[in-house]
Amino acid sequence: MAKHPVSLKVNGDEHDLLIEPRKTLLAVLRDTIGLTGTKEGCSTGDCGACTVIVDGKAVTSCMVLGVTASGKEITTIEGLASDGELHPIQQAFIDTGGYQCGFCTPGFIMASKALVDENPDRTEEEFRFALGGNICRCTGYTKILEAVLQAAEEIRTNS
Amino acid sequence: MSEKKEYKVIGTRPIRHDGVDKVTGRAIYGADFQITGLLHGRVLRSPHAHARIVSIDTSRAEAHPGVKGVVTAEDLPAAEDKMADLGEGAVSLKYLCDNILASDKALYKGHAIAAVAATSPHIAEEACELIDVEYEVLPPVLEVRQAMESDAPILHENLRTSSLGETGDKPSNIASHFQHKKGDIDKGFDEADVIIEREFVTGTVHQGYIEPHNATALYNPDGQLTVWCSTQGAFTVREQLAEILQYPISKIKVVPLEIGGGFGGKINVYVKPVAALLAKKTGKPVKVLMNRADVFEGTGPTPASYITIKMGATNDGKITAAQTSLVFEAGAYPGSPVGAGAMCVFAPYNIENVVIDGYDVVVNKPKTAPYRAPGATNAAFGTETVVDELAEKLNIDPLEIRLMNGAKEGDRRADGPVYPRIGFIETLEAAKEHPHYASPNGKKYHGRGIASGFWFNIGLESSVTINVNPDGTVNLVEGSTDIGGTRASIAMQAAEVLGIPAESVNPTVVDTNSIGYTAVTGGSRTTYATGYAAYEAAQDVVQQMKARAAKLWDVDEDNVQFADGEFSSINGKEEQISFRDLSARLGETGGPVIGRATMNPAGAGGAFATHVVDVEVDVDTGKVEILRYTATQDAGKAIHPSYVEGQIQGGVVQGIGWALNEEYIYNDEGEMTNASFLDYRMPTCLDLPMIDAVIVEVPNPGHPYGVRGVGEVPIVPPPAAIANAIYDAVGIRMTELPMSPDRLLKAMGKI
Amino acid sequence: MEKFSYVNATSLKQVTSLLSDSGWGEIMMIAGGTDLLAELKEYIETPKTLINLKTLPGMDSISADASGLKIGALTTVAEIAMHPTIQHHYTVLAQAAASVATPQIRNVGTLGGNLCQRPRCWYYRDETVSCLKKGGDLCYAVEGLSKYHAIFGGDPVYIVHPSDIAPALIALNASIKIVGPEGEKTIKVEEFFTLPAANPFRENVLEPNEIVVEVHVPKPNPNTKSLYLKAREKGAPDFALASVAGVFEVMGRTCQAASIVLGGVAPAPWRSTDAETALTGKMINDSVSAKAGEEAVKNAQPLNDNEYKVTLTQNLISRAAMMAVSK
Repeated sequence: MAKHPVSLKVNGDEHDLLIEPRKTLLAVLRDTIGLTGTKEGCSTGDCGACTVIVDGKAVTSCMVLGVTASGKEITTIEGLASDGELHPIQQAFIDTGGYQCGFCTPGFIMASKALVDENPDRTEEEFRFALGGNICRCTGYTKILEAVLQAAEEIRTNS
Repeated sequence: MSEKKEYKVIGTRPIRHDGVDKVTGRAIYGADFQITGLLHGRVLRSPHAHARIVSIDTSRAEAHPGVKGVVTAEDLPAAEDKMADLGEGAVSLKYLCDNILASDKALYKGHAIAAVAATSPHIAEEACELIDVEYEVLPPVLEVRQAMESDAPILHENLRTSSLGETGDKPSNIASHFQHKKGDIDKGFDEADVIIEREFVTGTVHQGYIEPHNATALYNPDGQLTVWCSTQGAFTVREQLAEILQYPISKIKVVPLEIGGGFGGKINVYVKPVAALLAKKTGKPVKVLMNRADVFEGTGPTPASYITIKMGATNDGKITAAQTSLVFEAGAYPGSPVGAGAMCVFAPYNIENVVIDGYDVVVNKPKTAPYRAPGATNAAFGTETVVDELAEKLNIDPLEIRLMNGAKEGDRRADGPVYPRIGFIETLEAAKEHPHYASPNGKKYHGRGIASGFWFNIGLESSVTINVNPDGTVNLVEGSTDIGGTRASIAMQAAEVLGIPAESVNPTVVDTNSIGYTAVTGGSRTTYATGYAAYEAAQDVVQQMKARAAKLWDVDEDNVQFADGEFSSINGKEEQISFRDLSARLGETGGPVIGRATMNPAGAGGAFATHVVDVEVDVDTGKVEILRYTATQDAGKAIHPSYVEGQIQGGVVQGIGWALNEEYIYNDEGEMTNASFLDYRMPTCLDLPMIDAVIVEVPNPGHPYGVRGVGEVPIVPPPAAIANAIYDAVGIRMTELPMSPDRLLKAMGKI
Repeated sequence: MEKFSYVNATSLKQVTSLLSDSGWGEIMMIAGGTDLLAELKEYIETPKTLINLKTLPGMDSISADASGLKIGALTTVAEIAMHPTIQHHYTVLAQAAASVATPQIRNVGTLGGNLCQRPRCWYYRDETVSCLKKGGDLCYAVEGLSKYHAIFGGDPVYIVHPSDIAPALIALNASIKIVGPEGEKTIKVEEFFTLPAANPFRENVLEPNEIVVEVHVPKPNPNTKSLYLKAREKGAPDFALASVAGVFEVMGRTCQAASIVLGGVAPAPWRSTDAETALTGKMINDSVSAKAGEEAVKNAQPLNDNEYKVTLTQNLISRAAMMAVSK
């Protein structure tokens, strides 16, 4: 079947691609563009490991076709640190020990970022609601929540 | 080891050496690996739980455009019937090979039958649909009690029960039966004023690591096989590959990439030998990835079990006798963790009269695998519920009855070992003193539960080398894959010896060609044993550098001492040089210094935990909410307290999932009906409070810093603690896991 | 996933015309895709062509005025959940939307897709099972595992409708606008869904060449209290074991009118007229609300494993009634 032209802006860079319609956005990011920081855990939208930000919203990229994402602006975990500086959420995950194996971490960071980008003034309850689509099997979530609360506070303080 | 030691690095909370890689997406996990010319593999799996394979025709798949090779069990060398040690348990190689690709029978739905390598994952998937397999479908058996019946469908015609030294004379699904005895069980029950006997059933549960299994293999024309993968133990993978493929170990290199969780489930190999076979067949590198359904249906979960527990106690609370029968499903091939369950079942208590019977039973489910304290959680669900019931009958506080009977140094466990210094009592005292235990607990439908747990921990082989850099830093080379922060906990132990900051140690996890044999990251052994090796390798560095200082100062080596990062001369010339300055002068004093250590330490020291949980039971819906959770645990010495807390919190939450929601749901045909993260319900952050982890430190005499393994025991108490809390809330004893809303509504008589 | 070709929609006319070229399953529509993609990955559906609806203009917004709401079918579930007017005046709808799946799925999944999603039955979703819903002979839930299946209206297919939003819309007396090759029509959402006795293969009245374009929700009376209660096994993502969409007109503790629609218990959203009758005109107290629950389930027909759903449904209805009159 015919491949389709797809234009994606990923982490600020334009990508003009020709892709098979059945490829998910996740596969396009990982295999076509080579951004393997976004992880595949379940392929059914239930674990959140593949979370990226599409036009400002957290999205599970395994449940979106690459072709339907054409024209969108996408941020992946690779797009977060700038000028050698970690994003406060990334730093907080390191500082608090908010990850163990690290496999779910990019998804958690992206879901958290989408939330604090909207408004960093968030309660623990709001974070729990926003992270309900991400599964971590290592940490029991306690230190993840400590990380995102710490990061949100730092972002509030500095803004 | 009882005196409190002052440490500079141990007990602090430096950031992980792999921290930045893991929060920026740069860490390379198995599926991320790329190599030129890569093909993509896909495994065809049995749709039947029990079937004879009549024929496999791969011709249509081979003819599909883009397909480069197809393999079946015929591509595996015929395996000898011998045993191989795979880290957390031994397994028959014939069974191991059949589990990689079924030869004569498919023994569970999801059993690998054939595999395809193609130019894209989609083509490989399409080609799997073109493989024609003719099955003769057989009736499956899915539950241990049914599998033990004399007329049950037989999985292995050649399997005979090995029972207490005798071998059975006819085919059976009971692979083995063993017994541990201590004292006189009849006398013990005679002495008891109260006897409680209960039955417990637990479901099949999965480790639930988020990263699916993966492997990329390359056979070079020179015969060198390289496998890149995520695994808990690269050397174990090498051994399994050598045996399954009947290939020399010297020709196999296993490169461990980052691993996205394991919990015991990434010790056994599944797709790694398949990738190797496909690579051999195609002459190209082949990557095989599982999807989530493959993981649920094609890898080892941890067993369901049927357990009876009988315990007796005197009116003043002394437990006089304990008897159990532990029947564990092994899955399709023998080898459940029932042995470990038997070691743990009554381990927290000093009981004079004990009988433990263990049964390993094959059923038409995936071959079970270890899962965090394998076997102990099933067992503790029974014991700790019965102890709670004894306490209630005797009107004794549940913590008090545990304090009265708790095991201490010198007590002997029913399966043999005598405890060295252990910290069970201390975990109970910590729970008792915690504000949680003193907080009010009287609201309607709210309840509080207590449970304890034990895991024996293991040592096994570890190797570490330390290369000293001229700037006073060191490169630490290790073979333990880092699943949850062990680069840091190992590096810190070397840093402590060398008197340098943790940040000055650069740990690297390397492939099987680059370090001495190192056993799996499992059994709560890594910070203990590989950390111990790092300690010894650092001591070796110190020894060698003392010689360099002696040479520099022209004094006898015995006259050089090392403390706080400084070498100094005693008995004569007053000389002093820092570790850093001496590091810069290694070239001129004889060349680079490399410290090394290999070991297999014996004193792992058991780990104990006591948990307190508050729940609220919604009597309208049967849903249990966890309101508050406190876990106390003896860590021996917490090298990095944050990561110890993290292990405790993570283990607790896995235990909560096991308690309330998680189970494999099978239909009558033996198909798992819920092989997705949607339908296999693991806890999210919406289901939990913050978990309060309380570290108790009773140093382990078997480790220079007193370390005990911490990873496994936290999963052991939660199901029992929650069951006890549910009883406190609504007066119902739950004896079946998971305690899901439908079961709870039924138990409460609401249906 | 099988191969398929892909077309971006340009107009409703083009879409309905393309769809008219085939029956069910050959040419399919994709909007958010969060349900369809799961079916494609499992080979439950194997279309030759997908039409991307997200490129249709003007179908993804919410407008609210004195007469009520208009919500485009391409509006995401998240936008419905977060919309201040909906949260305030159409609470049951906002709560139902907020309970759907995960934040990430809500950000992609659409209103139209939520209403048209296919069953989550584990037999239906198993590629290897040819069940009645897929043209086979049997509904396997009858003799097999039925923990998550229907207790009302099942015969002969015991799936449950997975939508949370549909019961809320029906409770709010909403209408749905459908466009086909012959033009547009508007029907009650309640009439949109069908039971398997009428059509075992589909869950609604859409023809293969019709498309949902908009939902209209009349503004509730000022004395309305509405709420959505969803029982599930974990916080997210989880479909309802049973859910209650309740819209109550209350004066003090008296229920003047009640609209109660259940989710997760029947092959279509299930209006409980028995519960409505038991509550209407009554002063709501423990015994009246308990009676409403009992009435609601008196004709329930549970299968082997789902009797608990009867209890659950009964208790949720009682709870919803009590909440309607609480402060």
